[in-house]
Parts: sequence; C-alpha cells; structure tokens
Amino acid sequence: MRNPLIKRIPKELASEWHKYLVIILFMVVMISVISGMYVGHDSMLASVYSNRDELNLEDGRFELSKKASQELLDAIATGEIADVREYFISEGMKEADEKVAEAVEEELTESVMEAIEDGVRAQCELYGITDEETIQEQIDKAIEENLDSALEEARDSEEFRNAVDEAYEEAHNEVVKAVDEEWDKIADRYELNDAGFVPVTVTIYEHFYREEDEDDDNDGIVDANVRIFRSDSSIDMASFNYGRAPQSADEIAIDRMHASNLGVDIGDSITIGGRKFEVVGLLSYVNYLTLHESNKDLMFDAFGFDVAMVTPEGFDSLNSRIHYNYSYKYDIKPEDKIQQADYSERFMKSVITQTLVYDNEIEDYLPEYVSQASNFAITDIEGDSSATAILCYILIGVIAFIFAITISNTIDKECTVIGTLRASGYSRRELTIHYMSMPVIVTIIGAIIGNVLGYTAFKNFMVNMYYESYSLPTCGLVWSSDALVKTTVIPLLLMFFINLFIIVMKLQISPLRFLRHDLVKTKRAKAMRLPRWSFMRRFRLRILFQNIPNYIVLIFGVIFIELMLCFAFGLPDSLDHYAEKAPEMVFADYQYMLMSSTDDDDEIIITSEESAERFGAVSLLYPKENTGMREGMGTGGDESVTVYGIVPESAYVEIPVNVSDGNVYISSAFRDKFGIKAGDPITLHEEYENQSYEFTVAGFVEYDGGIAAFMNIDSFNTIFEKDEDDFSGYFSNNEITDIDDQYIATVITSDDIKKVTVQLNHSFGTIIRMFKYALVVLAAALIYLLAKIIIERNEHSISMVKILGFKNGEIGALYIIPTAIVVVLFAMISFVIGYYLMIWVFGLFLMNFDGYFSFYMSVRSMIMSIVYLLIGYAFVSVIDFFRIKKIPMDVALKNVE
Amino acid sequence: MSEAFLEIRDLKKSFGTGEAKQDVLRGMDFTVKKGEFCVLLGPSGSGKSTLLNIIGGIDTPDSGYVSINGDKLEDMNEHQLTLYRRKHLGYVFQMYNLIPNLNVKENIEVGAYLSDKPLDVEEVITTLGLQDHKYKYPNQLSGGQQQRVSIGRAVVKNPDILMCDEPTGALDYKTSKEILALIEDCNKKYGSTIIMVTHNEAIKYMADHVIKLRDGVVRHNDLNEKKIPASELEW
Repeated sequence: MRNPLIKRIPKELASEWHKYLVIILFMVVMISVISGMYVGHDSMLASVYSNRDELNLEDGRFELSKKASQELLDAIATGEIADVREYFISEGMKEADEKVAEAVEEELTESVMEAIEDGVRAQCELYGITDEETIQEQIDKAIEENLDSALEEARDSEEFRNAVDEAYEEAHNEVVKAVDEEWDKIADRYELNDAGFVPVTVTIYEHFYREEDEDDDNDGIVDANVRIFRSDSSIDMASFNYGRAPQSADEIAIDRMHASNLGVDIGDSITIGGRKFEVVGLLSYVNYLTLHESNKDLMFDAFGFDVAMVTPEGFDSLNSRIHYNYSYKYDIKPEDKIQQADYSERFMKSVITQTLVYDNEIEDYLPEYVSQASNFAITDIEGDSSATAILCYILIGVIAFIFAITISNTIDKECTVIGTLRASGYSRRELTIHYMSMPVIVTIIGAIIGNVLGYTAFKNFMVNMYYESYSLPTCGLVWSSDALVKTTVIPLLLMFFINLFIIVMKLQISPLRFLRHDLVKTKRAKAMRLPRWSFMRRFRLRILFQNIPNYIVLIFGVIFIELMLCFAFGLPDSLDHYAEKAPEMVFADYQYMLMSSTDDDDEIIITSEESAERFGAVSLLYPKENTGMREGMGTGGDESVTVYGIVPESAYVEIPVNVSDGNVYISSAFRDKFGIKAGDPITLHEEYENQSYEFTVAGFVEYDGGIAAFMNIDSFNTIFEKDEDDFSGYFSNNEITDIDDQYIATVITSDDIKKVTVQLNHSFGTIIRMFKYALVVLAAALIYLLAKIIIERNEHSISMVKILGFKNGEIGALYIIPTAIVVVLFAMISFVIGYYLMIWVFGLFLMNFDGYFSFYMSVRSMIMSIVYLLIGYAFVSVIDFFRIKKIPMDVALKNVE
Repeated sequence: MSEAFLEIRDLKKSFGTGEAKQDVLRGMDFTVKKGEFCVLLGPSGSGKSTLLNIIGGIDTPDSGYVSINGDKLEDMNEHQLTLYRRKHLGYVFQMYNLIPNLNVKENIEVGAYLSDKPLDVEEVITTLGLQDHKYKYPNQLSGGQQQRVSIGRAVVKNPDILMCDEPTGALDYKTSKEILALIEDCNKKYGSTIIMVTHNEAIKYMADHVIKLRDGVVRHNDLNEKKIPASELEW
C-alpha cells in the first residue's frame, strides 16, 4: 500500500499555491539564468573549438615582402635552420671574386700598358726621336697593336697567376672574417648556433590578402579598413552566420559583428577599394573572433576594421598590393602552451634563416597561440561566471532555509497529528520523507522549468550577449553536464540537506512531546517585566519578544535582500565608476612597449622626447589555485601580472629608490584582488616556461589600472637576466615621434583604456541592467516569503485575538508594526552587512577574470537600496493585512486541549 | 479469554526534581488478558494518562516494567518501540488529531498503511457509520464524527491493543455513548484488547476489567461480572 500521506502533497501544493509559486518562480529564475549561462557558454565554446578543427585554424602565420618561391616554401616546411653563415660567405665570396677580378684586370692592363710605353720610349731614344708628340703617337699605336697579345702573354705567366691567387685568398679570408664577426652577433641574437636543434615540420598554405578602404553606405567616406581573403582558401576558413559565400566577382561576405555595428545587411551594396560589391554573407573567420587589426592593438575595433571574403576573380579585380601572407600548421600538434611556445620559437628560426637565404624578407610573424584576434574572445568566454553561480547558490540556500522554516512551522502546527502518527507507529523516517517531499518536489519543478528555459530562452540570451561583443560563429545547443550539476544537482542538494537538517532536528522530539505541544527545548524561566506603557504597546512588545526566532530569520533574509540590492545597484555603478576613472588608470599619457631595446644596427633606441623615461616590463603569472576559482583554459587560469622595472626617482611610478633585490612593490589592484599584505611572499611564474620567481611584497603603488609589480630597473635586469642597460619601453607625457614604428610593439594611451570601458559597457551593460531588475523582483519575493512566515506562525494567536473581539486594524497594528519596526531598524545594519558581503562576493567574482575592477556604490545607490527594501516591505505589509483579515476564528477553536 | 497479555509490574514514574518532584506512578501492578476491555478509571492527576503513555511505548517508566505478550518494553530500542506501536497498537485521543488536508477515507488509510493485517477500509467506514462522509475533510465533520474517524484510523490496523485516552472527553452525552458503543463493537468484532483511560465512572460498567487509580497506585482491580452494553450506560 502506498503511504496515504502522499495524498497530502498535491493538496498542500494547491492550498498554499501562492507560497509555492513564489518559491518555484524564484527557483526558476535562478536556475534558468545559471543554466542559460552555462549552456550558452558551453555551446559557444563547443562551437568555437569544433570550428578550430573544421575551419582549419592555422598554428601561425608569416608575411613576406614578396611572393615566396616554391623552394623557399619547401625549405621553410622542413623547419630546418638554413646555413646562413655559408650563405653569407658564398655571397661575400662572389662579391669579393668580382672585385678581385676587376682589380686584377685593371692592374694588369695598367702594368702591360706601362711596359709597352717603356719599350716604345726606349726604341725612340735609340733612333734619336725626341719629339714627344711623335713618341706619344708611337706609344698609342703600339698599345693598339700589341695590348691584347701582351695581356694574353702576361696572363699566362706564372708570376701573374701566383699574384692573382694571393689576391683571391686574401679577399676570401677577409670575407670569412667579416661574416664570422657578423654571424656571431646574429646567431647570438636568434640563438641559431644550437647544436641540438630539432626542426618542427609544417605544412604551409598560401593565405594572401589585400587591404582596401571600405565604404559601407557608399557616401564616399571611408568607414573602415577591410582585410580581404579569397574564398578558395583552405586555411583559416569562415563560418557563415547568415547568407552564403560569394560566388561571383562582385559578391562579398563581410564580418557579422562589423556589419551589425555599421548597419550593413545581406543584399546591401558596399564599396571596396572604389568597386561596388553586393554583400551576400555575414561571416565569422575562425582566426578573427575579435576584429584586432594588429596584434599590437590593446583592444579590437569592430567599427573601423573588417575582414571579408571575395572570389578569386573578385580578389584579382582589386588594385591594392597583395600581402604575401602564409599560414602554417605543425605536422605534429603541440600538446600544450609550453610546447606551442617551444615549437613557435624553433619554427621562427627556420622562417628567419630560410627567408634570408632565399632572398626574401619577413614582414610579420605571428604564432596563433598569441594571436589576440583568435584568442581574446575565447579567453573572455572561458573566464566564466562561477561567482554568479555562487551568488545564486547562496540565494537558493536562503530559499531552502526559508522553506525549512516554513516546514518547521507546519510541523509545529501539526504537532499533535505528528504525535498521534508517531504513537500509532509511524517512524521518524517516514515523517521526514513526507515533510521532505515538498521542498524536493518544488526544487525539481523549478529545476525542470528552469532548465527548459535555460536551454531555450536564456541560452539564446547569453549567446546573443556574446554576439554583441565578438565575431563568433553560429552555435548549436550542446548538452552541458556542467550546467546540470550546477543548476540542478547543487540546488537540489542544497535544498535537500538544509531541509533535511532542520526537519530531522525538529522531529527529534518524542511523540509524547508532540502530543503535548511541548516543542520548545528550553523553557523560558520568567516573563520579562515591561514598563507601564499602554496595553497595546506592551502587547505589541510581547509579540515582538515572542517572535524573536522568526525575526532572526527575517533579519537574515533582509541581509540577503540587501546583498542582492547591493549587487543590483553596485554593478552598474562600478561599471560607470570604472569608465570615469579610466583616464587615471595609466602611468603616463603614452606608454610605448618596444620590440627590443636596440634597433637593427644594435644601437639603443633613443628618443629626443624630454618627458620620456625608460622602463622594463615582463609578463608573468600569479597562481590563482589557492583561491579555488581556477577555471578556464585561456591563460591557464592564472592571473597575468606585469612586472615593471622602474628607473630611480621615476616621474611616473613612485617607489623608493633602493628597493632591495627580491623585494617588490605591487599595485593596489593586485593587493586588493588577492588580499596581499606588506611582507607577504609572492611567487610569479612564466607562462610558457617552467621558471618561477619569488618576491617579498615591500609596499604598494596606488594604481588600479592593472595587476602589476614594481622594482628597481637594475634589479629587474639582474633578476630577468637581461643586459645591464636593457629596457622594454618608454613612459612619456607626450607622443614620441622619433622612434620608427617597426620597433614599437604597443602604445597604450588613456584612449585605449576608454575603448576598454566602452567595450565593457557594450558587453556587460545589458546583462547587468537586466540583473538589476531580476534581483529587485527576487528581493521583493523574498521579503514576501519572510513576512508570510511570521503571519503563519502567529495564525493561532491572531485567530484568538479575533475571537476576543479585536478589530482587524488593531490586529494589524499588533502584528505588522513589530515586523515593520524590525525591518526598518535592521535595514541599515543589513545594508552594511550586505555591502561588505557583496565586496567579498565581488572578490570571488573577479577571480574569474584577469585584471581588477573595484566594486563601487554611489551614495544615491546606497540610499536607494534601503528605500527599495522599505518600499517592498510596505507592499508586503498591505498583503499581510489582507492575510490577517482572512484568518478565520475557528483556527483557535480547533485542536485546543 | 486467554491468559495475561499485558503485564504491569511495580511501575514508577515521577516528574520534576527536588521540591517540585511529583510522583505520578508509585508502584503499579496489574495484568490484562488478551481481548479484555479494560478501563483505567481515576480522577485528574491519578496517573492514568501517564500509565497509558508508558503502555503505548511513548513514555518510559523510572522503574518497573511493562510486558506485552512476554516482551518487555524496557528491552526495546527506539526502532523496536516504533515497530511495536506500528504492529500492535491503535491509539484514540480525546482531540482526534486527524490530518486536516486528508479526507475521512484517507485518514483511515493512514492507519491501514501501517498494518500487515489491516481491515478493509470500506468495511470500517461502514461499521463506523461514516459512509456518507468518507470524502469530507475533518473540518467539515462534527466532533463525534471526527472521533469516529479517529477510532477508524486506530481500528483499521487491526491492533492487538486499542489505547483510548478519554475518547469521549470532548463529546456530548449522546455522541459519547455512540462512540463507546463503537469501541465496544470493535472489541467484540475484532477481538482487540481495549485499554481505555477515563474519569467517567459510568463507563466502568461496560468493561470486563476495571482498574481504579488514585495518587499513582492501583486502588481497585476488579473484574466486572455483569457488563452492560454501552447503549444502556447512563451518567
């Protein structure tokens, strides 16, 4: 026989539908948001990763100044380092031979002519000819007649041959000496003298492109620079979000994000390099998930830059110069980032040397793993929102707790029945299962609806949010086991264990005590004496004291509501605050990162700009594993830290002149994000090498723009094994114009930081504002549930005072006002607690991202978060009043012994 | 009637400590035979409800023991006590204690569910005269009807012992007699041993065995030679 108590469950659900509806809604909102987040996240990543294979993403690319010969490509594909020394020697020899031959011929002719002249003059003297004119005539005649035969004769002489061999030998020795000297420098710089060098073989693909002006509205004004590839490329292919690939010479497919930003749609006509094209497709190139025009760009620009695809005929019809870009793929796939770095370094040696010996020139070299355009979006998507999930779990925990309290109230109300059932032989386990069934059922309903919504509406919402930010491919729906665990298993477990704990504790009481309504473990020794206030006042105070345990739950809930409101108001505030502070988040108006401290001639790169100041910089990683939030694959999950070497008495960064070796100053952002204190040891490690460095934090630099560490430039160069006068770039208050662009890796200005804030707002603005409204609704729902608990617990007493003749208004004043007093009194305190909790949660949230973003709440928002709570409670009070009115008088008459 | 089924030996129980200590049971001895209708009679504070709770295994004595069919309750752990109540006991309380959101039939099924040998629920409903009310909820019933349901819930288990704690305490004269008649019928029809706690002297006339308690001890332990039916009781 099935336990007949099961029949109570649907009835219980029906009779208290509004309460359960609120709880289910709450769960649905929570679960659908988290589920949508994970499913959207997992679906997008799955799509991006599968595209990397399907669309044949390169392992890297290099661009040459002219088209490479097949021999050069074959040589590069072997991955071997070319014998540059031999090449230089042979080239040098060729040149030397030519020069020697030329010099010898000159010398020989001169000496033969001298010999002929001497002979003619001797003969003239013999014949007594003294007229110089006649002598000169005879000389010219003799040269004309005898020079060739005389030269021939001279060349055959042994003396001459010895002299020539000597000249060649000397010249050759000179060449070898000069090459050796030069070679040592080059070999040292590119580490080409590696005896144990193992080549990395690759397959090379032609992936030429042109760059043209793009005019999207055909108004004659250039809107963007577009990089155009051919549609028959078999590397770095594109997926089509809308439309198709171009099929005729006047058709084009352009980047979806760029098209959306500039309002271009399929069927529109755009002008590329002065030629009209019809847009037939909106695409996402696998190697351009973000529109970074150059890898040096701090931020991508989906407005001013575009990538496009045309047919080979269309490509040929354009006029701009062809960029001889070659993409490569390693024949053996590297397993991890360290191996990728190693492969790339080895392969680069092959590209550099082979290009040289085949008489070509490298314009650009970029391994894929450091390409911003193909990695930026992935790193960002991968830094997922576990912290949001944690916040949601806290919410579910609170709901579970409220649920448990409601059940505890039901148990109190039904204590005699429970006593009877227990006396009749029902076991504690059976009753526990019975009371557990409701929260479990409600959670399951919430989880099912939430998951359905998560996999549909919210997944699309999340995916659209990604589309708002990046040039991503279309994505299908993938089953996310992660989402199931985080949205269904964890909430169910939370609900299950919190309720189980409270119900088991509650049902510990013996059947007899249930029968006697003897539910409180500790008995109040004495009633508290109250001052001689009015009866109603004392009555109200008694009610307040009597409900202290309920008010503790209420306060706990109000704290959580304030936490939610801080989240709701604080996030948009923080975003705005960041935008406002952005210009201050640079050390200098211009920060130039150089490719190297020396130019091609090995001269130190200098500038005449007076405000320029050298600095050293390396990028290391700070491990996040201690925080338990290590996730994602982007940067290996660790925090990227820029370590700066600062010159003494710097005008840009203030650190003491003598920071001893092993000590560093860290930025306030670094300190605040990881809670680091002065004197703490920190270990930073290289991203692509197994090398780590240990430092002690000596102090802080007030700088919120990034996670950074600072030391004296001399220590910096010693620690990172650099030359004594090495440096990485210049800080400057003014633009530096006298350094050749080819030596500049990146320039960071406050405008770049502004770009970041615009992008942040674009990417997160919508969701943050949506979150705000969702949280306000959830806060109202929570206070509704909390207030309901208090009325439910007092139902019996309310019914009783009704019997005694109290009016509804009076009862309302008795039961609502104490709650109102508690809410108002604790609103402020709860705000403070909620605010600090929020800062803590925000810290966890930040662990998912690189960089630092301080939590900020304006005074207005602080006030608003309290006002919202009070307004919400005012509404709930009105509902409470109607609840009180509805309580029938017979509640008090039933079950009274 | 068979030999001693329920045996109470030197049962003592007190509440409170020090000056506030109150001896509720002060050494109680008696036996009840299987199928006997036994009434525990006594004024308020005589210890009858405490005694009933101890027999029911929901309270424990300070000393002495209760043995049912040779099994001592003091030797049972909590799980065994639950099983004991589940398999052998039916409970009827003064305040019915029905589950408010289950209807009459379902409330009776709550008892049937616990038993290995339950009676037919429909038959019990008919016996109790509740056939016209079986789909009503407790709050749609009168006190007498609720008590019938409560008896139904206890009886349907086909318990060895039916424990009734002032089953008519909250009912009027007429309804009380009806309820008593029902319990009498159950005793006859199903052969359950009835232990009824009451302070109503008149009820003793319908019992096989009357045990009068006062101040925690048995004052009289009599077998009733001349039982009269519940319907003929007067008070």
